[in-house]
Amino acid sequence: MLSRVASSLFWMARNIERAESNARVLESRLINALEISDYGIVADQEWEAVLEICASADDYKAKHKEYEPKLVSYYLSFDRDNINSIINCLENARANARAVRDNIPEELWEVLNEHYISFQSEQFSNWSTKQVHTFLQEVKLLSLALQGIIESSMLREEAYYFIKVGKWLERAEKTARILNVTCEKTLEAEEETHTDHYYYWLSALQFANGYSAYLKRYPPTMQPRHVLSFLISHEQFPRSIEYCIEHVKEVVMKLEDGQVSHYSEDLFSALDNVTNEFMKIKFKEMSTKEMGPFLDRFQNDCNRISSVFANTYYFA
Amino acid sequence: MLQNYQTSTFYDEMMENAKKARPHYEKFHQILHQMTKEELHEKHETAQLSFLRQGITFTVYHEEGGTERTMPFDLVPIIIPDDQWKDIEAGIKQRVKALNYFLEDVYNGQKILKDNIIPREFVEQNQYYYEEQAAGIVMPHKNHIFLAGIDLIRDDNGVYRVLEDNLRNPSGLSYVFQNRFVMRKVFPEFFFEHAIKTLEHQMLHLHSALLSHIPANAKEQDNPTAVLLTPGMYNSAYYDHVFLAQQMGIELVEGQDLLVKGDVVYMKTMRGLQRVDIIYRRIDDDFIDPKEFREDSALGVAGLMKAVRKENVALVNGVGNGVADDKAIYAFVPDMIRYYLGEEPLLPNVDTYFLSDPEVRKDVLSRLPELVVKNVGASGGYDMLIGPQATEEEIELFKQKIEETPEQYIAQPTIQLSRAPAFQKERFYPCHVDLRVYAIGSDHVHVMPGGLSRVALKEGSLVVNSSQGGGGKDTWVLKESDQYA
Repeated sequence: MLSRVASSLFWMARNIERAESNARVLESRLINALEISDYGIVADQEWEAVLEICASADDYKAKHKEYEPKLVSYYLSFDRDNINSIINCLENARANARAVRDNIPEELWEVLNEHYISFQSEQFSNWSTKQVHTFLQEVKLLSLALQGIIESSMLREEAYYFIKVGKWLERAEKTARILNVTCEKTLEAEEETHTDHYYYWLSALQFANGYSAYLKRYPPTMQPRHVLSFLISHEQFPRSIEYCIEHVKEVVMKLEDGQVSHYSEDLFSALDNVTNEFMKIKFKEMSTKEMGPFLDRFQNDCNRISSVFANTYYFA
Repeated sequence: MLQNYQTSTFYDEMMENAKKARPHYEKFHQILHQMTKEELHEKHETAQLSFLRQGITFTVYHEEGGTERTMPFDLVPIIIPDDQWKDIEAGIKQRVKALNYFLEDVYNGQKILKDNIIPREFVEQNQYYYEEQAAGIVMPHKNHIFLAGIDLIRDDNGVYRVLEDNLRNPSGLSYVFQNRFVMRKVFPEFFFEHAIKTLEHQMLHLHSALLSHIPANAKEQDNPTAVLLTPGMYNSAYYDHVFLAQQMGIELVEGQDLLVKGDVVYMKTMRGLQRVDIIYRRIDDDFIDPKEFREDSALGVAGLMKAVRKENVALVNGVGNGVADDKAIYAFVPDMIRYYLGEEPLLPNVDTYFLSDPEVRKDVLSRLPELVVKNVGASGGYDMLIGPQATEEEIELFKQKIEETPEQYIAQPTIQLSRAPAFQKERFYPCHVDLRVYAIGSDHVHVMPGGLSRVALKEGSLVVNSSQGGGGKDTWVLKESDQYA
């Protein structure tokens, strides 16, 4: 397979996954904002957290003064200047798919293209919140449909594996980001407002689509330690970092026939590095203060795998 | 169904007169009559949507960049009876054979110029004549034309004439297949009562013809690696490239995916470099190799031409083919056929006047409103004057252009392209059509049955190019058994 093709497949998967998870984060936040009529600094902090997870709060602030739900929704969903806006992710995914049309199932291209066409004629700027909700729902279903096509029709060979690795790495990074931001916000909240941190950890689970799964395993008390270990290293949860990294490892083993050779050495060691970190969180109790630097490092390690992976297969 | 349909003085492909269909269209005519307008309209929409959904688009360039557009599809097919097709097929084979001899000759020895069959200046002043880069290249089978698209039109008497030869990167082959595919899906009832030549095995022909261009120094003489080189997804014919690569099962590569090392061409794969033996390129000569053509080309592959010259890789269509399909050389193709093959041309040309001759120029300038003027180097319907439809300003502008660079233009009588009914916006009306026939070259020439019928959907318009609002029609060649049923 051409390296350029590998790269496009990898990025197509990441863009689809990113669109889905950003849609989910924004959707959960919009629903929570309805239920909890918080205001002022608390609400602002929460919108800021959402922006940090899905894009960049600094970039947003350069454009807008206030954390107005409608503005944030627009910025995260439709703003062309936000490189991570959902609409941009979907357009990038379509461009990636278009560049490798001969390597993907015809249906995968058609479904992506159909949505692209339907978005082309929309005037998003005057959309109501209800329309935004429908859009977010549609994006999630689109991602699920695309994953379904991939699972049910692709040969289990290189193209398929690159798509899967793209998805898992994007997920792992997103989960790491959610945790990192949540941790930071908890700290701020403890210092400034003395509010309960319960709410942040609950949101973190919702953002990662893990709330109901978590409840099957742990009591609904939202102990930071439980949430952390669930999102990081619960190997049965398909958005936990451990689950994602383990699957990446499996694929790399398949691509390499189980052999570590000189060009794949770095990749294997980067993967091992992250795995070793899981162990720490599993067995060690950490304070919120200690968690910050740990999660920073961890997020960097996850990001690093992505670039080492690209280098290994010549598409960096 | 076709009430109020005007046949006029043009040759109509389907109707003999306002009421009566030609014999080979009779069955189709009957089927149409059994359908309602609403039914047809609905099906027409389904067909159009199917192209859009599949992203079978071409890119139109304008100031703000490019827009992807589908080629409008028209449901009335062009039907060609078997005996007529046999004549076309023989004529195309003959023509492509002669053109290929010409290309081999013009870059190796130039006998035809020495024998004064074609004036030397027509070759040497041709902007697509690349003596320096292309002379002496050894082509497998001595074949320069792997894929040709020959544009045919029919005059008022229904006689097929060659309008243009496309020997560089003729596009549109994917539409031939997609038109048929969509037609079958949306109008299955049309097919029940017709026996038409299938397109099924044509891709196999294309594939094996491509793989037969094995360069002398290929490592794998039995199992060569072929690729299709595209300028990328921003090219207007990108879908064509995707389709052909996919159907032939070869890798679709961009210039950035290839690299030349030690005069050997490799593609960059996730496992490292892999040798490439045959390249079907869809990048123009000018951009193919920045070392020998335009230095600023980011689309091409540096060092490619040297690898070709060393016979380490085969590049088709050949570099420099533009010298044979230019609008001035066109006038000499009948002479080429006589010269190389000793045969009389089976398909006539359209008369062509050279404007560098002062006498002719004077005559042409006085008759501009009735003629067609074309820039010899342009394609796609650009820089062209259609006298009978032009405004006075346009005619004045072309007068100036001709006076300034007469050698850049040729003139032809306005041929009243044949017409066929088209169904758009819930009614039938006559539109001008032409036919691009595709020929595949290797050690022999193979002609695909049918081709791409292009239709000028704007009423009265003579321009069929998709970049200028033209559409497509499915083209049926009837099997012998179905002759005039």
